[in-house]
Amino acid sequence: MNINWKAYQNELITLLAFVVMLGAYAYKHSQVSTQATQAQTVQQSLEELKEVIALKKIWGDKKTSKKMKKLKTLIPASKVKWSEKSKKVTASYKGLTANELNKLTTKILNLPVEVRLLDIQKTGSSYDVEFKCKW
Amino acid sequence: MEKTKELLLVHTSMERVTLLESVNVMLTPQFYTLKKEALPVKYAYQAKKIAPSLFEGLLEEGSSYEYMVYKEEDTWVFIAFDTEKITAFLESKGLVGGKVAKVFFAQQALDSFTAPLALSDKEALVVIDETVVVVPQSALSEDEQPSLVFGEDFTPKGGVTLKSKGMNHASMITQKQSWALAAVFMLFAGLFLVESSRYGGETKESEAQLQSLYEAYPALQSSYARKGIADKYRSIDTAERKKRDAIKAFSGMIFKGVTLTSLQVNEKSFKAQFACADAGVAKKVKDLAKKAQYKTAEVQGSSDLSIEGTL
Repeated sequence: MNINWKAYQNELITLLAFVVMLGAYAYKHSQVSTQATQAQTVQQSLEELKEVIALKKIWGDKKTSKKMKKLKTLIPASKVKWSEKSKKVTASYKGLTANELNKLTTKILNLPVEVRLLDIQKTGSSYDVEFKCKW
Repeated sequence: MEKTKELLLVHTSMERVTLLESVNVMLTPQFYTLKKEALPVKYAYQAKKIAPSLFEGLLEEGSSYEYMVYKEEDTWVFIAFDTEKITAFLESKGLVGGKVAKVFFAQQALDSFTAPLALSDKEALVVIDETVVVVPQSALSEDEQPSLVFGEDFTPKGGVTLKSKGMNHASMITQKQSWALAAVFMLFAGLFLVESSRYGGETKESEAQLQSLYEAYPALQSSYARKGIADKYRSIDTAERKKRDAIKAFSGMIFKGVTLTSLQVNEKSFKAQFACADAGVAKKVKDLAKKAQYKTAEVQGSSDLSIEGTL
């Protein structure tokens, strides 16, 4: 079929411009969705990374061993039986006063260690504590 | 650009042509009506407005005429032409719409007609009183015999584009409207493109932050490594927070009349026993334990309470 395109020149100009506009709109739309997905991915990675860094900072702290030594000296040595082997501690405390117990538990709560056992028993007016942890 | 196209002289006695490429055509006075007037108007569009009234009574009634106006020194030249008739003639000679680029009128190339130009054995184009006209060759004197060769160098400035009958009917919008619409669409297209280029600023900021963190912690660049570390520490974090929360909750249950008699926290559960001074105190402790969603049990034969939970 021989179409006289020149006869439809006005429509063609308008149509072409309209197609360009649609193309630009589609491009904008794809940019928006691509950017949104990308932003979401980047944000997710960023949050995940920040979380990992924060977790590592707490539970992978290299100064934990040093901090554990303070736990040993917190209570008079006569009341403490301390055993430490490759990032594992087993400690027994005998005859702790309520104040000492308070001090000890507060310290334990603030240490970044995995508590394997915390056993507190009241004996008369004092307390006996058994504490096992690792890091 | 149009000047580079072949220029074809169109006259009533011409032969049918076969074209491969589009051409410009020059119409002889057989296809238009000419009038020259010295008018006190400055611009061609003003002159064009009064063109129909100038030709009143000179043109065939019932035909649709278009006008071309240009200035020749101090005189305005008006050319009236019937597009439909011209188009029909051109088509009959093989010059279909698509093959005709621009249409010129012989009068426009007045200066090029320096001598008579033969149209056929009988007719010739000559300039009489600054007007290009068709005359019988027999009317020419011997020293005026047609000697001019027609070619592309006759192409004048400013031709017209023919709108065929078909074109007029097919076109739903005028050229002006089409350009206006196209301009609006292109404006929107531009806006969309500008808008799309603006997206991504936030991502760049986050990406830069991510990059700087990767540089600071190169071991975490791999997502597998990240996941492994995250899984390991996340489970520790959750369990240890629960243990510490339980110990803190038990601490909160120690007040006047309540004594902690034992507390045991291991890797799976926790349990505490409280000695309460009376039933009222025991109830208060029990309420606190229930609030923390721990299991409570009364120790038989006393007001002591046992509270436990799992991790």
